Amino acid sequence: MSQPVKDSVIVLKDITKNYKMADQLFCALDGINLTIKRNEYVAITGPSGSGKSTLMNVLGCLDNPSSGQYLLGQKDVASQSEAELAKIRNYGVGFIFQSFNLLPRSSVLNNVMHPLIYRIMTNKKREALARNALKRVGLSDKIESLPNQLSGGQRQRVAIARALVTNPAIILGDEPTGNLDSKTTADIMALFDELHEQGHTIILVTHEAEIAHHCHRVIRLVDGEVESDITNAIEEPKEFVHG
Amino acid sequence: MGNVLHGFFQSTKAAMLAITAHGMRSALTTLGIIIGVAAVITVVAIMESLSTTITDQLDDLGSDMVTLQAHTNPEQEMLGQSNKLSYDDFLLLKAKTNNVSDMTATMRAFSLGTSVQYGRSNTQTQIIGTDSSYQRVINTYPELGRFLSESDDLRRRRVAFIGSSVAEKLNMPSDPTGEFINLSGDWFRVIGLAEKRGKLFGFDQDNYIIAPFSTIRSLNGSQVTDNIDIMFRPSKGASLDKIKAQMSQILRQKHKLSGDDVDHFKFVTAEKTKKQFAEITTAVTLVAGGVVSISLLVGGIGIMNIMLVSVTERTKEIGIAKALGATPQFILFQFLVEALILSLLGGIIGLAIGYGLAAMVAMFMPGDGGIMVPMWAIILSLGFTTAIGVVFGLAPAIKASKLNPVDALRYE
Repeated sequence: MSQPVKDSVIVLKDITKNYKMADQLFCALDGINLTIKRNEYVAITGPSGSGKSTLMNVLGCLDNPSSGQYLLGQKDVASQSEAELAKIRNYGVGFIFQSFNLLPRSSVLNNVMHPLIYRIMTNKKREALARNALKRVGLSDKIESLPNQLSGGQRQRVAIARALVTNPAIILGDEPTGNLDSKTTADIMALFDELHEQGHTIILVTHEAEIAHHCHRVIRLVDGEVESDITNAIEEPKEFVHG
Repeated sequence: MGNVLHGFFQSTKAAMLAITAHGMRSALTTLGIIIGVAAVITVVAIMESLSTTITDQLDDLGSDMVTLQAHTNPEQEMLGQSNKLSYDDFLLLKAKTNNVSDMTATMRAFSLGTSVQYGRSNTQTQIIGTDSSYQRVINTYPELGRFLSESDDLRRRRVAFIGSSVAEKLNMPSDPTGEFINLSGDWFRVIGLAEKRGKLFGFDQDNYIIAPFSTIRSLNGSQVTDNIDIMFRPSKGASLDKIKAQMSQILRQKHKLSGDDVDHFKFVTAEKTKKQFAEITTAVTLVAGGVVSISLLVGGIGIMNIMLVSVTERTKEIGIAKALGATPQFILFQFLVEALILSLLGGIIGLAIGYGLAAMVAMFMPGDGGIMVPMWAIILSLGFTTAIGVVFGLAPAIKASKLNPVDALRYE
């Protein structure tokens, strides 16, 4: 890969991540080398336990790699302070968790406004942005509900709205359609397509072949290593049709 | 700057939300602080108003009154010496001392003992022999009848001016003047009843009988050498030190004391007594305050406990906040503010309850029943609770702020 460096949003050099479990060293990531350019549409696939989620956590600055270098927008993540990392998480990336991670006692609206609390702006502005994000995921009528009053798909969409509300350059989705029916999956994928068109870099972890093929580039992990890295021939995303 | 302010505002808001979301737990947490502060404030307020009452009563006695007493130091005592002030000393001083407005001599009636009888009743009291100027020195005024007159003293009349407790204990009629009381076989006519003074440190200040100095002196007889107390009041604006110096000189000369000899007498001022009382009440306040402060400490530990539980319980929440961009400082501040609000809230509620309790107790206390919570006690208890909030909130807050987002998120 020989694209100019300035186009590379994410550069991973020999990233490893080890866990210590019951005195045994478990290697989740074993020397990952990866470059992701601006506005790429990437799917990360692989069998369970292959290190997909670990890689996502590293990409989202939620976890530190055991070794190797991670350059995010040309900045070495390892050299950032905790406060700077917090800023990256707030401004740089929007993370959609597999298990949603919504605050159970806060309303949908407050959940979506949550990341904006760490930014200086009026509460009115926060609410307007949150309402807009909820509108984009089609949940305008549920803003006062609590997460446990929503269906799995609705919760997923709240989590997506929360990732969108900060308008991040990179959107990271850990199985963002894992809990959705085919209709909603199609809606959500259409939303990702739209975000991609607007210039966001999108990286999705998925085990669904349909989703993976929908993306432009598919990286397959096996045992913490990149097994294959295929850029799909089709540049324009085709209409997503499930089943 | 805007950033700091923003963080302050938002983390305070988050803290408030957390407190109200767990209403019951917050209330129970503050309970320890409430009880602690209430106890401290109650004790301090009661001690303070007690000491004010005492000071007022001492002022009634006349804070500028000075008593001159014979004094035997321990060394002399071991040698069997016993120093005395005589009536002659008193007369000499009265004649020679300048700048003294009133001077009176008092004498204990040894021969009469302490027993007094009226009808079938009898009681124990102190019998003092003195002259008419005693009234002005001590500020004792008759409720009924009159005080001793000069002629009572000149004619050695067997008359008595009695304190209200004596009349009460002897079941005397409401106007005891004109009645006769028996002091170890000698009959005295009651000429006046003193105004009630009340109790001081639980000591009855109305249990006394005053009789003319000359009468007591003659009844004491020659078997006992005079030993008198001399009480006086400096004139307005006069220097007490100068008066003391002058009196000392006169007495030393009369008692033939040479340069190295120690004084045979000492001056006791009400000011000094007041100071001693103040020292005692301060000591008692400190000790009592210290004891109840322990309950404050226990309350603080309660807050720390809850904060630690709260951090653990909300680990996932902290993880989410961090994943969404909360800085460690934000988390630290949120938990610190939460602990601070809890402890301050407890402090303020405790203050109110303590004040109420003290006011209730004050109703059953002697004096005018006014309750005073000194400013230092308020500042101290609120300062202490704030400190508790910071100190005990800090450990859990730091723990929360240092959590790794992924580890915190994984927590269920």
